[in-house]
Amino acid sequence: MLETRWLRRATLRLRTLFHRERVEQELEEEFQFHLERRIELEIARGLCPARARLAALRAMDGMEQRKEECRDMRRVNYIDDLLRDLRYAGRNLRRSPGFTTLAILIMALGISGTTAVFSLVNQILLHPPGVSEPQRIVVVRTRYDKLNLNFDGASPPALADARANKEIFEYAAAMRPIGFNYADGSVPARLRGAAVSAAWFDVFGARPALGRVFTADEDQPNANRVVVMAYDAWLRLFGGNPGVVGRTIELNQQPYQVIGVMGRDFHQAGAVDVWTPLALPPRAFSPQNRFNENLSVVARMQPGISFAQADAWLRWNADHVAAAAPANLRSMILDARWGMGATAFTDSSAGKTKTPILILLGAVGLVLLIACANIAGLMLARTSTRAQELAVRAALGAGRRRLLRQILSEGLLLAAAGGAAGLVLAQGSMKLLLRLAPESAVVGLEARLDIFVLLFATSATLAAGLLFGLAPAWQSSRIDPAHTLKGGVTIHGARQRSRSVLVVAEAALALVLLVTAALFLRSFARLQALNPGFEPRGVVTAAYTLPPGYANPEKQLAFARNVLEHLQSAKSVIAASIGRPIPFSNDNEGGAFRIEGRSLAGGEAIPQGDRRWVTPDYLRTLGIRLERGRFFGDSDRAGAQPVVVIDEKLARRYWPDEDPLGKRIQPTSGEGWHTIVGIIGHVVHSDLAHDTGRGAIYFSLYQHPAPMGSILVKTPLVKASSVKTSGDVAAVAAIRDAVRAADPDLPPYDIKPMEALLANSLAPRRFAMRVLGLFAAAALLLAALGFYGVLTCAVTERTREIGIRIALGAERGAVMWLVVGQGLRLAAAGVAIGIGAAALFGRLIESQLFEVRPFDPLTIAAMAGALMAAALVASWLPARRAMRADPAVTLRYE
Amino acid sequence: MSKPADLVQGTLDLLLLKIVALEPLHAWAISQRLKQVSGEVLHVSDGSLYPALHKLEQEGWIKAEWKVTENGRRAKFYSLTRSGRQALERESANWERLAGAIFQVVRLSEA
Repeated sequence: MLETRWLRRATLRLRTLFHRERVEQELEEEFQFHLERRIELEIARGLCPARARLAALRAMDGMEQRKEECRDMRRVNYIDDLLRDLRYAGRNLRRSPGFTTLAILIMALGISGTTAVFSLVNQILLHPPGVSEPQRIVVVRTRYDKLNLNFDGASPPALADARANKEIFEYAAAMRPIGFNYADGSVPARLRGAAVSAAWFDVFGARPALGRVFTADEDQPNANRVVVMAYDAWLRLFGGNPGVVGRTIELNQQPYQVIGVMGRDFHQAGAVDVWTPLALPPRAFSPQNRFNENLSVVARMQPGISFAQADAWLRWNADHVAAAAPANLRSMILDARWGMGATAFTDSSAGKTKTPILILLGAVGLVLLIACANIAGLMLARTSTRAQELAVRAALGAGRRRLLRQILSEGLLLAAAGGAAGLVLAQGSMKLLLRLAPESAVVGLEARLDIFVLLFATSATLAAGLLFGLAPAWQSSRIDPAHTLKGGVTIHGARQRSRSVLVVAEAALALVLLVTAALFLRSFARLQALNPGFEPRGVVTAAYTLPPGYANPEKQLAFARNVLEHLQSAKSVIAASIGRPIPFSNDNEGGAFRIEGRSLAGGEAIPQGDRRWVTPDYLRTLGIRLERGRFFGDSDRAGAQPVVVIDEKLARRYWPDEDPLGKRIQPTSGEGWHTIVGIIGHVVHSDLAHDTGRGAIYFSLYQHPAPMGSILVKTPLVKASSVKTSGDVAAVAAIRDAVRAADPDLPPYDIKPMEALLANSLAPRRFAMRVLGLFAAAALLLAALGFYGVLTCAVTERTREIGIRIALGAERGAVMWLVVGQGLRLAAAGVAIGIGAAALFGRLIESQLFEVRPFDPLTIAAMAGALMAAALVASWLPARRAMRADPAVTLRYE
Repeated sequence: MSKPADLVQGTLDLLLLKIVALEPLHAWAISQRLKQVSGEVLHVSDGSLYPALHKLEQEGWIKAEWKVTENGRRAKFYSLTRSGRQALERESANWERLAGAIFQVVRLSEA
């Protein structure tokens, strides 16, 4: 029953759509038949044929309109009309190529910018490449609230718990970074490795491009040594030779068999060359190891399990562990307020880049809005010149809604053309963005359009088209044909008003962007001017890791001394030292310690400090200030009195009222008592904007040798930048020579100027600052264009008035002020609104600012000034035209 | 705009369905019949009749056929469909309930 009705409707519609001519003809015939009957009737009543016809038409009350209503009733009209509207719009746009080109260009820039930023958001936050269903992956987090610690990491027993809960997690796996010295060619190379448990690739849904990944059997201690290579490393080391699978390579002087090559898309924060089995021994899972959170643990949630459920289970499990622990351990757990939880994988992998790119997305959205307002303004200007045409169409029976649709479809067509051009440009903008972006955040990301980006671009385009089509559509639907066709009055007050509103909005949005960009710039300048507590200039760093052959500390010590001796005798080296971990290397170590003669009051947290192991010249190499006492000497070696040097921060924190020199401390990790012999300045270790606030304890590396470290070399500073780099080159060569002399098979790696390490730590901010600067410039340009447009239009419409004023003796200056004044008034209104909006937007960016308040009067005043200046320049050109108006010409004009 | 001012909204559909239910008619005849049976009280302007008919046809309540009139002219005849009959019954019931209610209110004595 219902079906037959639908069927009937469908056939009717299809008929209307495809047999349009026949349907039209039938409509015509039906009306004609009616008309004839009515005329017969009127004649029968005694009217003459001509009058009868007139009466019949009048009774119809607008025959064409009625026909149009009938067409409307057959709803397919919408599709039909849409196609016709689009064709008409196309013709119209072709007729004014200047307007069309400008509008498409503005739109293309807006869409390409928005699309490029979105593609970054998509690849970083929504769909990281090579990972299937990233929203189902969580990273296990541990926190010690009392110690203000909250990090992505977990212990082997926690991994076992997650692995055992099949209701929540499909797979759980762990990873520990590991470095390999790879010696296959003539030059030893350093490979970045990840030791992972067998399910690691299952968690990410990553498949190998060649060969296979680990089996559970291979993830056992003493099992076969096997390795899976990353795609990039495979290309780099083996030139993409597929025969490498099955071959044996030597890592850390041990043979490993290559069993597979990972898929090209699977990058892990970009920093993995090879994967090896983690092979945790059974004792790693013993309860004593519960608080040894040295693994990165990830898990794939079962389908249908939400992030909140996984998080809740991890919390519950931690509470459960605490409750089940023996009494003495339980009190420690409760004291430290230990707990666990989950971090969304994408949040964890995006890290510090998340907030900046979301801010950029917001900013580029504002640019797109300004672009829309701009195009809307251009379209309004056109509708005022097209009033005649629209009035004719209205008189010929086009309903108000038809006219509205007509203008809207013009907007949509423009948007579609602009959007398509934008997509073409997007590729380039993406490449630009990727080049500006911090390398660590975008490794493995590509400038490519995937389905999500295309969907986004399409919806942004449609939304933009509707947005800038609406204002002119509404305006034009209010056209009164009778009035306009009579020759009309050319002062379009309402139209001018809505254009002014648009320009004010543009100015306000542009101010928000300008202020945001300026705040980022000022924060960045502050950060760069910040003293990190050491002198990075002229210092080059290189890391090394000694192979298992150096297990004996004596050998490790001999290597370190050997390298430093070589460096000290090299020319152009001012100072050389070895440290671990060094500032801004993304490596840190900290721990608890006891102070001699002090006991902890109940509930008091155990003292904490970052720990460094360094050689005597460390202070001189990095230019760190010695406050009191002494630094290490050659004699601070194994067997001598154990000593430490602390920084001022630690001194002030734990010895506020006494002299720490001569006091003794003992790390809880069991190194015995050490006497404090010196106090040095505090060094910012990893984040200029957010220093950990913890003090540091320095140990003598000669007293505690280690199989790894970073070599630091200071060379003299030369003024000219080109020579300075050659200073770096000399330092790099000196380091390579020294390491080769100490051990020809050992590759130094991560060779970088200290300044570059510092700059890298600011890379996300520099990126956000530069891109925001670009957006702000674009916004300013668009706003200026808007001012120019609206004032030019105003001058054209007021040509007569201006002519009369000049004819009546108005000063040229007064005429100029008429135009410029209008521009400045609009700009002032935009500034007023923009200040309010900037205050709101400021809250969103507050976390990214440094020593600058989000509502900074100086910044706002400066940017408001810049905006007003742009408005002044933009109104100057139309004002000059108005001033030059010749009354004799303008008054004759109409 | 297309609805005559003196007809309650929606009643035009009901009237048209009812008239077409009696026998298939072309639009002109429908307009004449409407005037006739309502004793010239209900008057639908020529113009507003057609959009209403086309709408009913689209709804699937009436169907149209081209036939030859008694005068030998081709004309579009509208007749009721099965779903149109159901719609008519529904609308009539609604109308009777509404009219009854209004009647009750109007007859309230001002005691």
